[in-house]
Amino acid sequence: MRFDVTHLTVYDWGAPAPVADCRLRLSPIERRRQKVHLSRLAFDPEPDHVVDEVDWFGNHVTRIAFRAPHSRLTLRSTATVTVEPMPALDPRLSPPWEEIAAHAALSRSLAPDDPVQFVFPSRLVGLTPAVTRWTAEVFPPGRPILEAVLALNTRIHAEFRYAPGVTDVATPLARVFEEKRGVCQDFAHVMIAGLRGLGLPAAYVGGYLRTLPPPGRPRLEGADAMHAWVEVWCGPSLGWIGFDPTNAILASDDHIVVAFGRDYADTAPVIGILSSSGEQGLAVSVDVVEVPAPITGLAGAEFAAPPA
Amino acid sequence: MRWSDGVDPALADLVAGYRTIPGVHDELMDADGRLRPHWLPLLSRLSRIGRPEIEQRFAGADRYLRESGVVFRSYEEDQDVDRPWPLAHLPIVLDAADWAVLARGVEQRARLFEALLADLMGHSALVEGGVLPAALVAGNPEFLRPLAGVAPADGHFLHLYAADVTRAPDGRWWVLTDRTQAPSGAGYAIENRIALSRALPESFEDLAVERLGPFFQALRGGLARAAGGPDEPRIALLTPGSRNETYFEHAFLARCLGFQLVEAGDLVASETGVAVRTVEGLERIDVLIRRIDADFADPLELNPASHLGVPGLVEAVRAGRVVVANALGSGLVEAPALTGYLPMLARRLIDEDLILPNVATWWCGEPPAREIVIRELERLTLAPAFGRTLPGILDSAGVLGARLTPSERQRYALKLSRRGIDFVGREPLRLSTAPVWDKGRLIPRPFAIRVFVARTPDGWRVMPGGLARFAEREDVRLLSMQRGGRSGDVWVLGARSGARSEARLLPEPDKAEIRRDNGILPSRAADNLFWFGRYLERAETTLRLLRGLDGHGDDGVVEISRDLTHRIALLLAKGGAIDDEVADDAVSLAEAAAWGPLSGSAVRLVGEAHRTGSIVRDRLSPDAWRALGDLRDRLSRRIDPLGRPYQVFAEIETALRTIAAIVGLAQETMNRRDGWHFFDLGRRIERAIGLARSARGFTEGGTDVDALDMLLDLADGRVTYRTRYLSGSARRPVLDLVLLDEANPRAVAFQVVRIVDHLATLAGHRQGDLLEPAERLARKLATRLETDDPAEFDDARIRAVELDLMAISDAVSAHYFTHGSPLPIDATRP
Repeated sequence: MRFDVTHLTVYDWGAPAPVADCRLRLSPIERRRQKVHLSRLAFDPEPDHVVDEVDWFGNHVTRIAFRAPHSRLTLRSTATVTVEPMPALDPRLSPPWEEIAAHAALSRSLAPDDPVQFVFPSRLVGLTPAVTRWTAEVFPPGRPILEAVLALNTRIHAEFRYAPGVTDVATPLARVFEEKRGVCQDFAHVMIAGLRGLGLPAAYVGGYLRTLPPPGRPRLEGADAMHAWVEVWCGPSLGWIGFDPTNAILASDDHIVVAFGRDYADTAPVIGILSSSGEQGLAVSVDVVEVPAPITGLAGAEFAAPPA
Repeated sequence: MRWSDGVDPALADLVAGYRTIPGVHDELMDADGRLRPHWLPLLSRLSRIGRPEIEQRFAGADRYLRESGVVFRSYEEDQDVDRPWPLAHLPIVLDAADWAVLARGVEQRARLFEALLADLMGHSALVEGGVLPAALVAGNPEFLRPLAGVAPADGHFLHLYAADVTRAPDGRWWVLTDRTQAPSGAGYAIENRIALSRALPESFEDLAVERLGPFFQALRGGLARAAGGPDEPRIALLTPGSRNETYFEHAFLARCLGFQLVEAGDLVASETGVAVRTVEGLERIDVLIRRIDADFADPLELNPASHLGVPGLVEAVRAGRVVVANALGSGLVEAPALTGYLPMLARRLIDEDLILPNVATWWCGEPPAREIVIRELERLTLAPAFGRTLPGILDSAGVLGARLTPSERQRYALKLSRRGIDFVGREPLRLSTAPVWDKGRLIPRPFAIRVFVARTPDGWRVMPGGLARFAEREDVRLLSMQRGGRSGDVWVLGARSGARSEARLLPEPDKAEIRRDNGILPSRAADNLFWFGRYLERAETTLRLLRGLDGHGDDGVVEISRDLTHRIALLLAKGGAIDDEVADDAVSLAEAAAWGPLSGSAVRLVGEAHRTGSIVRDRLSPDAWRALGDLRDRLSRRIDPLGRPYQVFAEIETALRTIAAIVGLAQETMNRRDGWHFFDLGRRIERAIGLARSARGFTEGGTDVDALDMLLDLADGRVTYRTRYLSGSARRPVLDLVLLDEANPRAVAFQVVRIVDHLATLAGHRQGDLLEPAERLARKLATRLETDDPAEFDDARIRAVELDLMAISDAVSAHYFTHGSPLPIDATRP
């Protein structure tokens, strides 16, 4: 599937801010099934400094700094991305979950995507005994990992209510679990906490989900939002596999990865420091549009710019 | 032969009843009840001095500490409480040979941890080579991914390392914990030393106790070397601030070693380096000694919730533009999970056998170790692998297997089999004991000593002594000042004789270079001094207005007219002291404006003065600080309703006198450098604004004699007026005296002249060839006030003066101070 993504973030600082420093993770990364043809960031006003970096987990980070008073900041990220569908898997043929846990604990690699990086508590996902117990209910001894994680994926979807606005980034995981409601970020964190409680490697993925309008209705521009889901390391041969507990599906070719880490804190699209005392306002819109794939074999058909 | 045979009976009396704990090593007495010989000289000296004088001397040591401001700050019932420093009055005495082993062992660990950090934060060959499990690094909260692979600018992770040690039952030293993150306590060790060496000067000299001073000089030398360049090294100590429990030590070390004491708000950082914001602009820093945990050091790349960190610091470190001591990431090797690997790592990394053993520790991520711990849990301690509390599972102190019920042990066994990676099992430890002085006799108490090692230009150097900490009870597993306990000195008996008193620990006073500048004033300090001045003056202005409600100054008590009460009420409301709805009754009005909840009430203003003052406390005299505290406490008390109205006005008078005392003390004691200029600038601007506002309030809408008299009182002008004018108060001469008379210390013009003087004295008062905006505005205003005719001063003109003054204040802020504190940007939500 090939997509054009437009992600618009508009901050209103509430009062002129003389200084602002931001770290942006808004440019999609390349993954095994994901190719980025074009990725571009535009700013208004123009920052005084712009530096592109790659963080420890391999995400694209753009640092921008402002040294002149400004009251609004517009970040416009555009990208063209191709995502391959997930190949069909037979969950019954995946290894027992205990094998996965033992493998991670004894890893000899500190590589950023090694499972050992994703079994420990992280900044926003602490080990939560209640979540671990609840998760263990679908992890009887010897159950194949894929089957068990799919069961957990479905269980979160069934038992949690999607309720925008009742949680924020600071809402403790234990409360989300207790009240069984929240948004995709919360569900991803709960799933990660449960899996890690059993010693299983689970990662957080921030990105976009292409949504289809209800039948017979036009697609609304900017109606999409940033999305979050979970990747679980399912053994050396299967590797990392994406699960979307918000929708009880496997992440396939509708899921576009922007950043990957232990939890939201590692993937936050905007982290910044501002000197202003105003009341901040924020508006975000995301637009994911399917575009026809270029005809292969035709010289010069790939007229998109090289990957950023 | 018993030890007491032939021993001085006074000495025998001193240790009579001293009972060691079976199976626990004691410093003073061996298992057979014999005194260890290296204690005898100290004890015989004490027995010769005699109990009454000993008590006096120890009281003197306590007094010294109190007077030097040595306190331990703890946080209790939502308040910071300064507790007296709990000094154990007897030192722990160690003989030279015993010490040599300990010192060698601690120095070896410093080298080992440096090598280990270089590997783990570098290419992690130990992990890739299968020597250490990756989980020990990946699961360690001190593994700072943004700095993995980044070598420190000076090539070193550790500049100061400390180990907490105690003795095994056989008398060998063993290590309880390693401190590599930001070891604290060295400053307290000096203070303990100074206090004790003053209390027991004869013993200190007789025993040739090793001095601590040279160690600190060497530490300073090491940090100066790290700064690199040929210039005077620019070294700052980053403290979390005055509310931190060890803030005293931060301030003390900074002062002793000549480092600038800074908080996050003082610093700016980026890939070009780290600098202090000062009133003269940015001043570069080469070495930053950090007393905050690494995770809090940079909200942009580490913990985004941190208010103690400097945004961009990680970037500056990555760019190699600043040396952080200890380097960010140094805390990695404190993890208990690494302990069991240290003997192997010592052989591998530095090719030596580990001299000091640790308490036996098993990391449960390795299946064989996990089996041992599960099997022997009843006898072991279970603790978090990385030293941090596992919420809802295990707190950082761990749990004694013996204290668990069989079913609890079973539950832990399940947790261990699921996530052994989070736990270590440890032999339970028993601290060895040493004597403390307790009501005239000696008793054994469990202790640990923190031993410090510094990187110096000549290699690692161990501080010959340390910070001893004693538990109050005999059976303890943890030592914490927060939970009671005492702190003491460690005397290492020297080979040399004639050690000099440690009072001269710091560089010889006559060798110090003469310096007149007090260093460059950080903007944050200047900002707070300025507002300290403004709040104090604003409180005074409000209180003076309230005093007016109590009748007319030297004329005795007079009924206050409704019109005057109304004018005062309007002014108070304008100043935010009261709501508009408060009754016209003078006493209720005074009470509301003095003690009310609004931000302009006297009690709130004094609270703000106290808050801003506390931030610059090190620049205020102790007397002024105490008087400010008294003022706040006194005003915070509710007044007795029965005593009204007399008490209302009596309290207002007392408060005014206290403010005068504080200002007087500040004037008398503050050095006339930049800091004082900002304090007085704040007062002058506030006073001028208050007077201009009062001048309008008491003259607008027609002239009233009572109101003009009140205005004269506010400007302390009544006596002058009487000598100048025979007639009663009239508008034009009163306004002249209050607004324009440069000779009247309370006139607006007088304040403006001072404002101009202050601004002209500040080093940053020029921008190229131009004057900075505040000074330009102030000079214009001064000229206008000098040349204006009081007759022309209608309400609008006075209002214009008030606005000018506010513009001057804003211009001072914009030019000299930090632009507010940076706030995090709201997170976007997926």
